[in-house]
Amino acid sequence: MTSSLPGFLFAIPFFAAVVIPVVGFTNQKFCRPIALGALVFLSIVSVIGLSEVVSHGPLSHEFGGWAPPIGIEWVVDGLSGLLMVAISVVSLIALVHAGPLVEKELSDRVIPFYSLSLLLIAALGGMVLTGDLFNLFVFLEIGSLASYVLVGVAGGRSLHSAFRYLILGTIGASLYLLGVGYFYAETGTLNMADLAQRLPEVIDSRAVLTGLLFIVLGLAIKMGLFPLHGWLPDAYTYAPNSFTPLLTSVVTKVPLYAFVRIAFWIFGMTTVSTQIPILVVLGWIGAVAAIVGAYLAIWQENFKRMLAYSSVSSMGLFMLGFSLGTATGFAGGLFYVLADTLMKAALFGVAGAAIYQCGAITVTDLVRLQRNMPWVSAALLISALSMVGIPPTAGFFGKWHLVVGALEAEKYFAVAAILVSSMLTALYFFRMFQRVWAEPLPLVEPHVLETPFPIRMSLGVLTFGIMALGLGSDLVMGLIFESALPNGF
Amino acid sequence: MADILLYRPHFVAFIILFLLGIYIMVVNLNLVKKLIGMYLMQTSIILFFITLAVKRDGTIPILVSSATALPPEAYANPLPHVLMLTAIVVGVSTLGVSLAMVIALYRQYNTLEEDEILGKMK
Repeated sequence: MTSSLPGFLFAIPFFAAVVIPVVGFTNQKFCRPIALGALVFLSIVSVIGLSEVVSHGPLSHEFGGWAPPIGIEWVVDGLSGLLMVAISVVSLIALVHAGPLVEKELSDRVIPFYSLSLLLIAALGGMVLTGDLFNLFVFLEIGSLASYVLVGVAGGRSLHSAFRYLILGTIGASLYLLGVGYFYAETGTLNMADLAQRLPEVIDSRAVLTGLLFIVLGLAIKMGLFPLHGWLPDAYTYAPNSFTPLLTSVVTKVPLYAFVRIAFWIFGMTTVSTQIPILVVLGWIGAVAAIVGAYLAIWQENFKRMLAYSSVSSMGLFMLGFSLGTATGFAGGLFYVLADTLMKAALFGVAGAAIYQCGAITVTDLVRLQRNMPWVSAALLISALSMVGIPPTAGFFGKWHLVVGALEAEKYFAVAAILVSSMLTALYFFRMFQRVWAEPLPLVEPHVLETPFPIRMSLGVLTFGIMALGLGSDLVMGLIFESALPNGF
Repeated sequence: MADILLYRPHFVAFIILFLLGIYIMVVNLNLVKKLIGMYLMQTSIILFFITLAVKRDGTIPILVSSATALPPEAYANPLPHVLMLTAIVVGVSTLGVSLAMVIALYRQYNTLEEDEILGKMK
């Protein structure tokens, strides 16, 4: 069905990103209401888009009146609709949370913060919605440039990690572009749907194989897949606290989405698991990443760095889920991506709130949360339990479907990897619980108050979301099975 | 191997430039030299795309008169050119952002050598 809705999903945050510097130039106070208003509007439109897709099938929009495959086409289908809802809702909550933090740590950079955040969200939306490989590259770079700047905007150590992120991210994007060039040279098209029809004829060609390898390598750098996660721990640790919830929850998920789109929709399930068995390799890499990431997290003293390695571990779990080759495994991987978006936003939100309110940077410092901070402590408890996989949180159901999918596929190494990584995750989170609640508060600690209302409310909403996604997991899994599965399952 | 050198020398040139770019980026500790390597790598990909579009005796893809349509083999493929126009813009903006970061790093640490910056951070 043709509709201009995909265009709107990009235009709303993009125009807000342009309007903010113009309006904010006269009065900085207008930046935040414009940004939040645009994101509320975006969330509503993306929910409408998803419900349209569920009831009437995919929506597509041709730009400039040129029909695909010649023109550029944007598509909202089950997968992109679901991702778009997750991106818009979580970024809205993340920017609500950012309010007091921006005033404290970036008080002279309020305009660039909001403007670039919305540009980043617009670019992520463009990546999710586009049906064209080159268009995807352009949005990948727009989004990456916005996030390099946002990582380094606070200056100090973050600048150096932003520079490293930029260097590695540019290598990733260049490899992706090179892969697209190989596909174009072999098939003469860039449109995803058209490419999917033309590829089976030339699937044996070495250019297609090399192109796929370049694309997967490039996207793996962007998503921080072990062992290409070099930029990730520093960027997550030193990025301003106002930006980390947005950075950690959505920025790495969208290159993962691009990989899933290319592997399952363009190449197809049977091709990537038998003819070009890239899923087998990625399955092993995912298993190793899930375990090594969790193992490295155990040794981190810095709370944000611990969570960063936990993200490396989660990325391994997603990869493992998508590589299983069963419908349950794929749907479980996707569900866990959605759950992790909420959990990472909540955990980094807690980390930011702890630094903002009582200067707690290391895990040991978190003992200060003991007093007077029920909202932050509850958010920390629920999201950490969800990371470990305790029912009835969303993390439990994500891991449950992953294990069921692995058993269906009879891949026992995957089951073992999921269980071992969950146990290691339990180890570092329970160690943290012990520090926070079992040890007595040192008497000399300064008196701290509960966090301001925007932080409290957004942590509450995220915690509620984690529980609700867990309790409503049947509904979401039904939606994924109905409209977000690729052909071939 | 000799075949490639004889009939596809542009691919060899592309590979050399690309690897040289990555080498410069990885080996040098100077931040500006890293950026030179990065730009060389991006440029090599642009050259790769442009060589895909070339045809023997092909002219520029401009319609002289609407009455006589040119056969496709008479003009260069315009699509890679247009794609690379966009990629050049992306490359330039990446370079701009990265140079701004280098300036900010220099103001803060008074050096452009990565090892010295790392030393000063401790």
